Amino acid sequence: MAPKGSSKAPKASTSKALPPKPSTVAPKRKRRSQEEEDAQNAFAAADSLGLGPEALAFGSDGEDEDDGEILDEDDEDDAVEEPFPELDFGESEDGSFDGEDGDDDDDSEDESLGEVDPDEEAALLAEIEAEDAEEDDGSDLDELIRRHTTKPDEGETPGTSWEEDPTLPNDYMKRSRTVTSKITGQEKTEWDQEIDAGYGSDSSTEETTNRIGNVPAYFYDDLPHIGYDIDGKKVMRPATGDELDKFLEGIEDADGGWTTVKDKLHQQNVALTEEELDLIHRLAKGENPDAAYDPYTPTIEYFSSKVLPTPLVGRPEPKSRFLPSKWEHKKVMKIVRAIRTGRIVPRRPGASSSSAEKPPFYGLWSQSDVASAPHPMHMPAPKLALPSHNESYNPPEEYLWTKDEKDEFNEREKEDKKGQVIPIKHSSLRQVAAYPEFVQERFERCLDLYLAPRMLRRRPKLDIKDPSELIPKLPSPQDLRPFPTTASVEYPHPNGVRTRCVSIDPTGMWVVTGAEDGEVRLWECAVGRCAMKWKCGDGPIYGVEWCPDKERSLFAVASSSKVHIIAPLPLLSEIDAARTSQFALAGFTSASTDDAGNAKKHTQPAEVAWRKPKGDAEREEGRLVEIDVPGTLKQIVWHKRGDYFSTVSAPAGNRSVLIHQLTKHQTQAPFTKQKGEVQRVSFHPSRPHFFVATQRQIRMYDLLKQELVKTLNPGLKWISSLDVHPLGDNLIVGSYDRRLVWHDLDLSSTPYKTLRYHSRALRQVAFSPVYPLFLSTSDDGSIHIFHSTVYSDLLTNPLIVPLKVLKGHEIKDSLGVLDAKWHPREPWVVSVGADGMGRLWCT
Amino acid sequence: MARTGALKKKGESGAAKNYITRNQAIKKLQCTLGDFRRLCILKGIYPREPRNRKKANKGSSAPASFYYSKDIQYLLHEPVLGKLREHKAFAKKLSKAIGRGEWGLAKNLEETKPVYRIDHIIKERYPTFTDSLRDLDDALSLIVLFASLPATTSIPASIITNCARLAAQWQLYVMRTKSLRKVFLSIKGIYFQAEVQGQTVTWLVPYMFTQNIPSDLDFRIMLTFLELYQTLLGFVFFKLYTDINLVYPPKLDDILDENGAGIGALLLEESGKGLVVVRDETEEDKEKKRVYAKDVRKQIREIGLGDNDAAEKAAVAEDEAMGVAPTATADDAALELDVFPVDTEAGALQPESVLSSTSLFSSYFFYLSREVTRPTLEFVIRSFGGQVGWDAVLGAGSPFDENDARITHHIVDRPVVPGAAPRQHPGKRAYVQPQWVVDCINRKTLLPTDDYAPGRTLPPHLSPFVDEDEVRERGGYVPLEAKRIMDVDMAEQEDDEDSDEDDDEDEEEDDEEEEEVDEDKKMAKNVRPTVGLGKKGKKAAPALLAAAKDPKNESLLHAAELEAEARDETKKAKKAAAEGKDKGPKKISRSQEEQLASIMLTGKQKKLYNKMTYSSDRKKEETAKLEKRRKDIAKQKAKSLPNAGL
Repeated sequence: MAPKGSSKAPKASTSKALPPKPSTVAPKRKRRSQEEEDAQNAFAAADSLGLGPEALAFGSDGEDEDDGEILDEDDEDDAVEEPFPELDFGESEDGSFDGEDGDDDDDSEDESLGEVDPDEEAALLAEIEAEDAEEDDGSDLDELIRRHTTKPDEGETPGTSWEEDPTLPNDYMKRSRTVTSKITGQEKTEWDQEIDAGYGSDSSTEETTNRIGNVPAYFYDDLPHIGYDIDGKKVMRPATGDELDKFLEGIEDADGGWTTVKDKLHQQNVALTEEELDLIHRLAKGENPDAAYDPYTPTIEYFSSKVLPTPLVGRPEPKSRFLPSKWEHKKVMKIVRAIRTGRIVPRRPGASSSSAEKPPFYGLWSQSDVASAPHPMHMPAPKLALPSHNESYNPPEEYLWTKDEKDEFNEREKEDKKGQVIPIKHSSLRQVAAYPEFVQERFERCLDLYLAPRMLRRRPKLDIKDPSELIPKLPSPQDLRPFPTTASVEYPHPNGVRTRCVSIDPTGMWVVTGAEDGEVRLWECAVGRCAMKWKCGDGPIYGVEWCPDKERSLFAVASSSKVHIIAPLPLLSEIDAARTSQFALAGFTSASTDDAGNAKKHTQPAEVAWRKPKGDAEREEGRLVEIDVPGTLKQIVWHKRGDYFSTVSAPAGNRSVLIHQLTKHQTQAPFTKQKGEVQRVSFHPSRPHFFVATQRQIRMYDLLKQELVKTLNPGLKWISSLDVHPLGDNLIVGSYDRRLVWHDLDLSSTPYKTLRYHSRALRQVAFSPVYPLFLSTSDDGSIHIFHSTVYSDLLTNPLIVPLKVLKGHEIKDSLGVLDAKWHPREPWVVSVGADGMGRLWCT
Repeated sequence: MARTGALKKKGESGAAKNYITRNQAIKKLQCTLGDFRRLCILKGIYPREPRNRKKANKGSSAPASFYYSKDIQYLLHEPVLGKLREHKAFAKKLSKAIGRGEWGLAKNLEETKPVYRIDHIIKERYPTFTDSLRDLDDALSLIVLFASLPATTSIPASIITNCARLAAQWQLYVMRTKSLRKVFLSIKGIYFQAEVQGQTVTWLVPYMFTQNIPSDLDFRIMLTFLELYQTLLGFVFFKLYTDINLVYPPKLDDILDENGAGIGALLLEESGKGLVVVRDETEEDKEKKRVYAKDVRKQIREIGLGDNDAAEKAAVAEDEAMGVAPTATADDAALELDVFPVDTEAGALQPESVLSSTSLFSSYFFYLSREVTRPTLEFVIRSFGGQVGWDAVLGAGSPFDENDARITHHIVDRPVVPGAAPRQHPGKRAYVQPQWVVDCINRKTLLPTDDYAPGRTLPPHLSPFVDEDEVRERGGYVPLEAKRIMDVDMAEQEDDEDSDEDDDEDEEEDDEEEEEVDEDKKMAKNVRPTVGLGKKGKKAAPALLAAAKDPKNESLLHAAELEAEARDETKKAKKAAAEGKDKGPKKISRSQEEQLASIMLTGKQKKLYNKMTYSSDRKKEETAKLEKRRKDIAKQKAKSLPNAGL
């Protein structure tokens, strides 16, 4: 058993007394001194700190037996540890005895010890000097380290073989001794104490005297003790000297007291030992803490290229080392098979890749090559255009640009230059400079080749040099004469009042015009004399129409919301005048209408009233009948027979289209429901059909059956005018959106032809009653005359030939020719315009 | 009856199926945009413009470039695409190996680097040889450009060298087969046009200056094109060379090349013979040959067949120019015939007229003084059979020096120093500026050298690529000089034919309407002293012409009548005058009629008509402008000349 103690304080005082010495010498000396002390049993309690031999030497104030044992050990150690000169840390197994003597806590003794030390030291020194040079100061420390780093069992065996010193006894390292048993007489192994003690190697088992644990020391400040030991006894507070003591201590201590450290647990000062100080010094200097450590020792190569005569390890070589690898074999075979089947072509070392072995160029084409079939999606890149004269370095002078042209060109964007260059004339070849855009142009060509989208041209490019080749082959206008070409007679209206409408009487003698001042003027057609005029209200007159019956010379006038039936009675012969007035006035007698004009018939719309003009003067003037109609009148159109006529008036709901019968003074509203605003109406020339043009559509009604026959879609936005061919199978429609549409009624509801040639809105379209001609008037001030042959053969399309553009009317307030009518017998046209001029156009 | 069952779905046929956008294509091919571009360039795949973009893009009107779906479909099986993928993997491996410092592995990888070849693409794009010849223009122009560029970090020197070699090989071939037809000195560079196997190949060579390389140029694209073109030209040249029984590639004489011999550094070799044909005869050879030729001529003269002299001379010179030493034995020839059943003689298939024009310079010796750009002129002259020598400054290998008495034309391009004594050279030689050579070639005749003497104001250099007849037909402007040439040609033809004189005269009168009489005379004198005045029609009836111009002028008419009577041409003159009368009003009426008739055009036709009339009007305007300008210049000159005289 090993008494354990943790007395640092006593030792501290001793170390203080020690004068600084070379570290190599110190342990030795200390041990010696310890021996002496042991011998003297001078100290009762000594704390073995496990730090240094001096702790043992001076601080061990344990029991005597213990000390003796320790001493024994030390002796042995000395002997043993000589061959490890390289390890000189001054510690040894004595650590195992540390802290054994826990019960000793004599401060006073410590004090005295501290005082005694120097003397002893001096004595010891002499002894040490006398003793020799077998200075294995570090040996015990070595032992300690070894013990701490190796297991106790293994400690002895390894490495012995190669470091054994033959001069040493066999068991110099051993912790065990072989002794002859006193009892049996046989040899037995006797183990060192510290090993079988169980605690020795582990510092955690060190016991301190004070067992209070980790509680603050001030808990005991007011108490006489500083804690309790393992047995529960009070550990008394060590005596602390007063200030004088401290002072004296400071004086006595050679180092001035800085080598002592306060042990809080035991409330004592602990002096650092020489070794500890040395260690601190070394650490402070950044050296290896082990003073004996030699960084330059030659390395021992255990595993090197040198073949050792004997193996390092005694194990025999395994069998696997002598067998070929199965997996390697498999891998190799895989490659071999690949080579055999030709999947891998092994390359000669140093040869380049296999593909380059083909010659760089060879005969790629042969006679048997077949050109690829033309494919519509194959579009070869167009070649670059070849240069013209202007790119010459010395072009003809006329190709050179003026300064303005150059400036204009330079101001253009790059895209607009289109690869053009400014022509330059050089007088000789050597003066030609480099073309700065050369690389750029090449690059752009490259870009074009792979980036520019190519388009498929369905039709081959028309090889037309002259654009006139595109014009359809039409008969010459010269061959289609007669048609009106020149303006001959003028019908000038006073003040240039805008003239809205015109009509020629069926005999062709008279022309009647309606102007915006509300006057209707009668002109002698061939002369241009204004024969008569009638004032029909103040509003503009939108429609004037002669009755087509040659027997009766009368016409209808549409003035704001009244229809006037007027006959130029003073100009007629008496028979004619009588016949005409009788015809017009017959209705008053036959129909039971009174003079007030109240219609008796229930069929007649309520808003319509037929009445006689009031005054005789008016009657003499030729005004025969007046009809009140709802809304503002826009158009009047007669039936071919001259008995019926129809009116269109603007905001009148389902009464906007009315059909009047002159003989009976009757009015019908054929439509009960209005579908869109009616623009124009027209009677079919031969059949009982009635055309109604709304803004976009044309409807054909059968008046007898009272049903819708057909709807035409001319595809116009706003129909302005309408006329039916005299044969009745074709129809022309003019529109405000500048189009003229020809409808063939036998064909579909879509137009046969749509022509756009006027630059402004069309105002009137009209077929000539006797000639194969039609006209269109427009706000652009022109009248277009067309030839139109309609064949009786159903297979042949109508022939339309533009013949003439009649220009003469002025445009006023962006209105041009407002109305035009054909002469009933001649290929003449009478037109009126916004300039207040009526014109007769003759051949 | 409607088809039952098969409902047509949107986007499954027609344009939607036919076209694929670029992004879709890239996704489909699983490659990067760069690889896709490369493939497109190599395979000649280009975007298309569908007739209806919206339909092609499945209803979307987002901007996109469309490709033909089948093009992309075929690309999926393209070996080069596979190689590009392999290369990507290789690049990864290599960079990994280098990053890890595994140099051995990196070296191994580098050795097994995937390399693609594009010969199959060439064959695919150009199934027949003629196809490839048709597409040679761009290839040659780009190669020639790169041959003149400096090597930079973006253009490796090896490429430049290869381009230069290819350009030289092409020139060598053209010279040897004499297939050069037209040359045009433009401000952009020099255009050459050759006729190879019936195909015209036009290429543009920059003037020998440092090229201005724009900084925003994407050289990757150019280099990809170059890669394709280099391969294409390699194969084409191989075929061309082997067709004329030469070994391709011709060997390069390094020493000569270093000394700047240019084309002369390439050594031609006939296949099967192992015989190195001399690139240009050595001096001794030539001497021998010349002696031989002279002897022959002497003999001929002695025999008294002087008429054949010229032809003989030409033939001899041609032989020389061909540069083939006539050493092949009969056996060799037989062998050759076996190998090449087609006659490989360059001009064998060409008509006689072409032959005569290609040997235009065959009997002449040209000397280039040192300010002249040698490569161009040497190429041009030798292509037409001439012998060229040059100043030592212009490079090594000149067959004769400046003082050689045989020199017939000395090409000079330097200003004349007034007062300096002319340099004395032995023999008789004409001093001409370089334009003379080019003009002669384009006109296919030898022009008088006086106009081209150093210091003289050169006649304008016209583009040989403009077809003046067609331009005139379409109402374009034909410069006076071109007219003269045309007339001379026509006169030549007439001389040849010597029949239907009256009709021809009619035509000529029409042609010459605008020309002034004095100009006419001058022209006749200048251009072709031998030809011009041979015809009485040419001698011009000024009054008649004037009358045709101004048919209302009584006095002119009268004068014309008198004149015509003198020639017994009264009827014709009257007719011409009457026609002139008719023409004026007729034209106007026709135009009015046209305008009226144009009403009957449909919208589409009308658009086309308007477009055409617009462009034709522009053309007329342009012509009128140039016409006017020419007259102004002529007037100014006329004014300034007497002044100068005074």
